[in-house]
Amino acid sequence: MLFLAMAWRNVWRHRRRSVLTVAAISLGLAFNIFMRGLGDGFHEQMVDNSVQSHIGHIQIHRAGYHDDPAITKTLPDPAAVRQAIEALPNLRGFSFRVLGDGLASSAENSAGVGVVGVTPDEESRVTTVHRAVVEGEYLDPGQHKPALIGARLAKLLQLSLGDSLVVLVQAADGSMGGEKYKITGIFRSGSPDLDRGMVYLLLRDAQSLFALEGRYTEATLLLNNSSGVAAAQAALTAHLAGDGVEVLPWYVVEPYIQQFIELDDAFFYVIVLILFIVISVGILNTILMSVFERVREFGVMMSLGMKPRQVIRLVVLEAALLAVVGILIGGAIGSAFTLYYASAGMDLASWAEGAAAIGMTSTVAYPKLTALNLGLSSLAVLFVVMLVSLYPAVHAARLRPVEAIRHV
Amino acid sequence: MMILRREVPALLLGGLITARGAAKQPDGLDLAKKCDWALRGKTQIGQAAMTVHRPEWERTLEMGYWAVNPDKSFIRITAPAKERGTGTLRIGTNMWLYMPRVERTIKVPPSLMLQPWMGSDFTNDDLVRESSLVVDYTHTVSGEETVAGDDCWWLEATPKPDAPVVWGKQRLAVRKQDALPRRQEFYDERGRLRKVMDYDDIQRAGDRDYPMRWQMKPVDKKDRWTRLIYRKLVFDRKIPARIFTQQNLKKHF
Amino acid sequence: MALVEMEEVSKTYRDHVDVPALRDVTLHLEPGDFAAVVGPSGSGKTTLLNLAGALDQPDSGTIRIGGLDLTATPPDKLADFRLRRLGFVFQSFNLFPVLNVVENLEFVPALQGVPQRTRRAKAMALLQVVGMTDLAGKRPNELSGGQQQRVGVLRAILTEPDLVLADEPTANLDSTNASNLLDMMEQLNHEKGITFLFSTHDPQVMERARRLIRLKDGRVV
Repeated sequence: MLFLAMAWRNVWRHRRRSVLTVAAISLGLAFNIFMRGLGDGFHEQMVDNSVQSHIGHIQIHRAGYHDDPAITKTLPDPAAVRQAIEALPNLRGFSFRVLGDGLASSAENSAGVGVVGVTPDEESRVTTVHRAVVEGEYLDPGQHKPALIGARLAKLLQLSLGDSLVVLVQAADGSMGGEKYKITGIFRSGSPDLDRGMVYLLLRDAQSLFALEGRYTEATLLLNNSSGVAAAQAALTAHLAGDGVEVLPWYVVEPYIQQFIELDDAFFYVIVLILFIVISVGILNTILMSVFERVREFGVMMSLGMKPRQVIRLVVLEAALLAVVGILIGGAIGSAFTLYYASAGMDLASWAEGAAAIGMTSTVAYPKLTALNLGLSSLAVLFVVMLVSLYPAVHAARLRPVEAIRHV
Repeated sequence: MMILRREVPALLLGGLITARGAAKQPDGLDLAKKCDWALRGKTQIGQAAMTVHRPEWERTLEMGYWAVNPDKSFIRITAPAKERGTGTLRIGTNMWLYMPRVERTIKVPPSLMLQPWMGSDFTNDDLVRESSLVVDYTHTVSGEETVAGDDCWWLEATPKPDAPVVWGKQRLAVRKQDALPRRQEFYDERGRLRKVMDYDDIQRAGDRDYPMRWQMKPVDKKDRWTRLIYRKLVFDRKIPARIFTQQNLKKHF
Repeated sequence: MALVEMEEVSKTYRDHVDVPALRDVTLHLEPGDFAAVVGPSGSGKTTLLNLAGALDQPDSGTIRIGGLDLTATPPDKLADFRLRRLGFVFQSFNLFPVLNVVENLEFVPALQGVPQRTRRAKAMALLQVVGMTDLAGKRPNELSGGQQQRVGVLRAILTEPDLVLADEPTANLDSTNASNLLDMMEQLNHEKGITFLFSTHDPQVMERARRLIRLKDGRVV
């Protein structure tokens, strides 16, 4: 306890210097916590956006579909798949779909599209397309051959509500399929891929177009939160083992999202590393100075019988105490900022273009504070400070008492 | 003197024979043009059956076919019932598709030119560039070989620098006697062989020999091919211009 | 057996030139001695004290304190030896500025592992003996030079070492304070039998020493 008191009082011997050092540490940590929180929140939103715009948390297809998609590859036993899905604990919704490529055309123009056949209310529990309808209405099973298309596709084909949309496909039996649909709804999701490339039809219409009566290309499902994906995937895979299906989580279906997150994280760590190095230099300077100012004192301590490793411990303890104060203050500031913006939201309108490119539909980011983030950042700071203090500590421990006592 | 007289004819004859045996290799472009003429002439009118085979299904389309070499063709499907009346019109590098069921003429956009034509192993691009082999490539004769029982030249065709072709190279085995192709190999830009077309069942069609059976097979996929069998074919008749119009696509017969 | 046995001890400092600080010094100290090492500047007083204090090693010769051969002991054990068997009083007061008087006294016992309550009690008791309890909570910068030095002596003897080494303990004191300091040291020597070895060139101090060791040019004369 005596040495703890001594270390603590040593820290505040030069109040201004220590305050500045503590300020540097706490600002560095606060910055770290907030930026990490912003990143985490942003990534989570990205994933949720992507997952809820089309791909869902998990997709189930016939085995081999993902590597080599073909309209002929349909789910071998849809009833078993449905059963397996319904057994999941935190399920929010699922949708059985028919998917295929087609040529959409109007009198003016034609374009390659992805045709998606869905059951509207099933689909609305998985994706948010139904909320993105800007003209007309969402698919209605009571209508005759309705089609829901994105605003960009409508513009490309120069079609409006009520116009006919022709879709040509190669059906599952090899024949050429072609049908005319009525545009009953136009949506704008913000995702260029959806708005330009998707045509939503009623499931029965898509099945008939592709000659897939009673069959489905995929089952996609949404959980209550993305942290449960791995467990759900494992459960489904076990349940459907040997049934000739593949159960794919969203990050396999669209790896670029995960890749982007990892790249973003990598950038973040580089920035944090640079920040830590800069702060470390400052801390090193502070502790070094405090050691040089106490050469005679260390001489006395070691003359009295303090061993070198005890001297090291004292110096490192002083550094650690400095760090702890900085961590407490920085942690509080960083958490406060993060929590505030977590509920108020932070408008990143200036980065709107980039956001759209990676599938974000809104420019408001909600940072996320996690115990892990807070804990790891704090520990990292503590570790770095203690590591940096080793150099001055060892220097002090290596002083020769006889010479040190004579030091001015 | 007697000996000399007997030997001179033998020598002369021998010389002639040797000269004929080492028949000069033809000029590449020349050979390509001859091959094009042999296959397409000035115009064609015919009926054919196209069978597309996949692991999961096999389908045969019957069609009528009109073409003016090098840049106009018109195809109308006559059977089966689902596709009956579907037509393809090609003028230059433009292609239109008509489906009676949806009563719509669709211009095939450039982005879909590499998609299969009517689900077969021929792409839209293949149909549009039938004669581009002469115009868009430079040719050399690389050797000779007996292919499918016929004495053939191997013609190597490399795309010209700015030519709008998807292939890195093509090779054709053409018959020495009449430049009819027996095999055509399609290589991608990395030099990998992607598709092979075999020309078989050579019969007399009008004034020429003609392979009545064409089979296109992708190299890296199992159990997939497209076979074209000509049922009737006449060459070099005059074809009225109204055939190659969008109105003709929409005409019901 | 003498408490301190130095045999033929020599030490040379290698700087720009070789400076022989001690030459073949042989010295014996008995327990309870109150001895002063005297001599002109550069005669080797400090070196002798450093060697006796296990703070340095001789180039040749042996040093035994309380039976332990210092020249054959590794540095870590020497530190332990200093901690438990020796006491030091420094010329410039060398109290820890961040600790108050009683805490300064507790420093060495704390290093020794003595529990807080015990060492606090011992320190306070010692202050009481010398009538300095009112200084207990003060920081060194609140004390006079004489007071600081007396606290320094208390710190040195609190754990009842065998030997206390004091390098010019009165050098920075006026004569009154020097006298008071010597009184205290004598008292402790007398009552507790603690051996004192100090260096000085203060005649007042020399007077009070019961034994004088004269050094000249590194030799005992």
